[in-house]
Formats: sequence, structure tokens, C-alpha cells
Amino acid sequence: MAPPAPRDMGDSKYLDVTAVGKAFKGTSVMSGMDFRVGRGELVSLLGPSGCGKTTLLRIIAGLTTADSGEVLLDGRAITSAPAHKRNISVVFQSYALFPHLTVAENVAFGLRARGHAKTDCGPKVAEALALVRMSDFAERKVAALSGGQQQRVAVARALIVDPVLLLLDEPFSALDRKLRETMQVELKTLLRDRNMTAIFVTHDQDEAMGVSDRIAVMNAGQIEQFATPSELYARPASAFVMDFVGLSTRLNGEVIESTENRSTIRSAYGTVHAPGTFVPGTEVTIGVRPELVKTRAAENTLRVTLADAMVLGSKTQLHGRAEAGDCLLCEVPGMNSDYAPGDTVTFGWDVADTLVYETGT
Amino acid sequence: MTGRAERIGLLALPGLSFLAVIYALPLFMLLLKSVQIDGQFSFAEYVAFFSDSYNLSVLWRTLRVALLTTGLALIIAYPTAIIMARAKGFWLSVFLVAMVLPMSVGVVVKAFAWTILFRTRGVLNDTLMSLGITDAPIRMLFTETALIIGAANVFLPFMVLPIYAVLRQMDSRLPEAAASLGATPVFRFMNVTFPLSLPGVVAGCAFTFSLAISMYVIPSLIVGERQQTLSMLTARSFLYLRNEALGATISSILLLIAISVVLTSSWAANRLGARQ
Repeated sequence: MAPPAPRDMGDSKYLDVTAVGKAFKGTSVMSGMDFRVGRGELVSLLGPSGCGKTTLLRIIAGLTTADSGEVLLDGRAITSAPAHKRNISVVFQSYALFPHLTVAENVAFGLRARGHAKTDCGPKVAEALALVRMSDFAERKVAALSGGQQQRVAVARALIVDPVLLLLDEPFSALDRKLRETMQVELKTLLRDRNMTAIFVTHDQDEAMGVSDRIAVMNAGQIEQFATPSELYARPASAFVMDFVGLSTRLNGEVIESTENRSTIRSAYGTVHAPGTFVPGTEVTIGVRPELVKTRAAENTLRVTLADAMVLGSKTQLHGRAEAGDCLLCEVPGMNSDYAPGDTVTFGWDVADTLVYETGT
Repeated sequence: MTGRAERIGLLALPGLSFLAVIYALPLFMLLLKSVQIDGQFSFAEYVAFFSDSYNLSVLWRTLRVALLTTGLALIIAYPTAIIMARAKGFWLSVFLVAMVLPMSVGVVVKAFAWTILFRTRGVLNDTLMSLGITDAPIRMLFTETALIIGAANVFLPFMVLPIYAVLRQMDSRLPEAAASLGATPVFRFMNVTFPLSLPGVVAGCAFTFSLAISMYVIPSLIVGERQQTLSMLTARSFLYLRNEALGATISSILLLIAISVVLTSSWAANRLGARQ
């Protein structure tokens, strides 16, 4: 199978989606979509259902035709190439294993479709099954497999043909939580070792953060931000990204005073300060990641009445009473049972840790 | 559980007793007639039937017509079922109505419609002659070809609907997965869609073959008395020849063929089902 090549972060435009548009029955799903992935990169398309992430995946795979725009792979235009000529493997949410074939026959399918005789496929099938630790199941019917085993078979079936790109549509969503985490680590290691370029579609931010080098957060047919997981978390480009990736304390307010790179904002819980310059009167949404909120006074300080204190093991979450649309959240490390609902607590954080967005953008 | 299942089984009792009195009992009496001569048990009627070369030619024609009808119906039905399985909303309704509605038109009416089309100065011949393709009318009515075409038309829904039902249930991701693995449309059809549709094909063929082997009205109207089928021979034995033993014998042979078709197809469907 393919020898490893150095990984890049989109500079080489290994996959280059340019100005792609798609409408279903007159309703636009996406327009002017630009999306670039580097060779060997693991990328996630993250967004709520209906945001167009699966449509983009299907356009890349050739299962849906784009109305406009171009898709290039390794410098070659594939926009109008049919799916079977693209050498792009897809792992479906339901795995889509062929129910009339055994595990080994499923895995061999891609080789047989390429004209290999059934008897020649043996060694490669054995190798692919060994890769996903499914060698003992070669002669089983796929219906007799558990969800995790089916997923392994689907991955082996997709990888045996040495695809130039691997697409995975919600690959973990049919698995229970524990298995999902194991499979994520397993699959990521496997793809890394083979230097596979892969795109995951998911609505689960933990999954996206766990498996990807970069995440494209999608909303209503647009990519809101395309960045590394840490960048997305620390510097979300919009209030949507901030809300979609991770939890945060989130307040709506109005700018009452703004000097150079520092604004004063009036919220329902008192005034707070945030970086950035705004025209006074601007409605803004401010956010702070919960682990940056401390239970002591800081540059921004609010007095909060607790609605709940949840001891989650590695951390304890303090939820403050907040108005609709707002969220007051503080995370303290470890198990901490000093807090009870109804307590009045100080939430404090620094101006530099404050994220601020104009409302409605 | 078993007790409960058994008690639910009691619900089938009225239907079963109805069938026993109205269907099974007369059938049994009929079968009895075929193996009884003057109150003695004997296979003489069967021996006599199979030693008559005319009867054998009728048996062979009946089987041939039923097989060819089934084959023609399958060829027409399969693409139709594929299109129906992909159709949505309005067009799906159009197809379903087009399949089901003609069943409410009697077989007699449909067979007459075919005679209008096929006869010497019928629609087909007039068209062929006016186009200059032939000078004289081609004999179409009273031929086996016309019978097969007519029968395939009448029985088409029984072939389309089972195949449609199976294709409709098939996960549409399967052909897509096959495509993403490099399978051409032909390879996809041969290795995914067609094998998965086989239970529907088996069911459709069993329906169509059973109907075609026992059809009476369609051959009577399209080919007439000159080319007999087993059903026509049965009717003749009872109605004209007043030979109940012969009629019962032919009926039994027909029944035997039908039973073997049903058993073979259900065995095949089970095997195919088990594979999935």
C-alpha cells in the first residue's frame, strides 16, 4: 500500500474544492463553497444536521453532482468523474456492508471491482482484515457482527483499494460511547500510520476534536471557521463556532463605552470588559471558556447564584442562574462538593480571556 | 410464549375450516377420481395420459408457454421495478396505479383487446402495412407468440410488485458504497442490486409461472381450440367429453407442477434469505 509522504496542512491543496454550489429542489444547500485539504491530513466537517456537511462529502465522493464549482484532487479535475472512477472510498454511517456477502467477500469487493480474480484477493484481504483485527471473522456473515466489528470491516473494505482519499460519514455515531472512544483512537492511529488523507463528517465536537488535524465548522452551507482544534477552541471566529465547539459562559449585552481595544459592556448581571473596539450601542455576545472562569474576583467579576453544581469526576461544573439565551458556567478542577444550588458565588475572569462578537454575525 | 403463539394460531381456524370445506375437500375428491377406476385404486388413467403423444405435446406446450411467459414478464418487469423503486411521490403513484388498475379490468376484456391488436386487419398489421414494412398481413393472432405476449401483459403486475417491494427495501447506500469502491454500473448491478433482488425475482417467477401454467381464458381467446393447453384440455374433458377421470388426471398433473413450483421457489427464497 502507499508509502508515507510528508503531511501538510492544506498548503498543497491536495483536495481543492472551489466555489461549489448545490441546491435541492430550488433550495440552496451551499454556494461558493471553498475547501482545501492537504495530503495526509485528517480533517473534520463539523456542524449541526442540515448544515450541508454530508452534501459536501457526497460531492467530493461523486455520489452527488455539484451544480457549480470545481473539485480538484492532486491537481486533477474530478468534478464530472463518476464515483467509481475517483478512487475515493467512503465509510457510511450505516457502514453499508453487503448483506449477501461474507466479511472476506465484502473486503475483497473493491479488488474484484477492479478486475482481480477472486483467488488473487486472498493475501490482500487477509492483510486488510489483520489491520483491523478481524482475521477470525473472515467467513462470517456481516449480519452476525456487532456495530464495532461492522465498522472495522467497513474500514478494511475502504482501505484495501489504496484510496487517494477516505471519506467517513458519521462513522462513530452508531456505536456506544465507550466503544466510540476506543474506535476513534484505533482509527486515527491506523490512518496516521498509512498517511491516509481522510475527511470525517460529524456533528459531535468531541469526535471532531479527537480525530482531526483541522476542523471545518459548518453552518447553513458555509464554513464558519477552518482551523486546528486548539485554535477553534481558544479563538472561535464567531459566536456560532464558540457555541458549537465546547461550552462557555455566554452573555448578551450592549456596548456602553469603547476605548482603544477595550470595551465596557452592560449585561443583565453587571458590567464586564472585553477586548476590541465597538460603536457604543452595539449589541454583543461575550463568551468565556468555563475553565478560564475562576471562583474569585478578577478583571471581570460577577456575583452568581448557583442553579446547580455538578461533580463530574475530573471536574466540577458550576451552573449559575441565567436569563434565557445566556449561560453562566464555571469549571473547577477535580471533585469539589463545597458548592450547592442556591449558593452565591463569585465568577471572575480576565479581559484577555473574553471572547466578544457582534450579535447577529 | 409458545402457549400464546398457539392461541393466536386459533385465529386462523375460521379461514382454515372455510378452505377445508370449500377447497380442500372437493380437491381431494377430484384427486381421488384420477386414481380410481370402478372403485379400484389404479394409475391406469395416468399411464393412458402419458402414452398419448397428443397429450404429451399439450403438456410440453403448456410448460413452454408458461416458461416463456415468465421469462418475458421478468424481462419487462425488472427495469419497471427498478424505475418504480427509484420513483417518488406523484410518479410512484402513477406507476402503482398503472400496475394495479388493469387487474380490475377482467382478463376477458384484456384478451379481447389483444385480439383487436393482433388480428389480420388489426391495429398492428394495419400499421405495418401502411408503413410498407409488409405487403400482406402477418398472422399473429392464433400464434403461440401472441399468447405469450398477451399472457405476459396480463400477469405483469404479479412479477413487478414482488421485485419492486424487495428493491424498495434495499439500502440505497449499498450501490453507492459499491461505486465508491470502484464498481462500474454493470458490476454494481451484477454483484449488488441483482443478487439482493433475487428473493423478489423468485417470488415473481413463482406467481407468474403458476398463473401461466393454469391459464384458461387467455389461450382460449388468443389461440383458440387449435392449440390446446392443459387447462383447456381439462375443461374439454369435463364439459365436452364428459370424461371425469381424464379431467381429474390432468388437474392433478397441473396441481403437481404448481406444488413443485411453490416448494422449489420457497426453498430458493429461504436459501437466498438465509444468505442475507
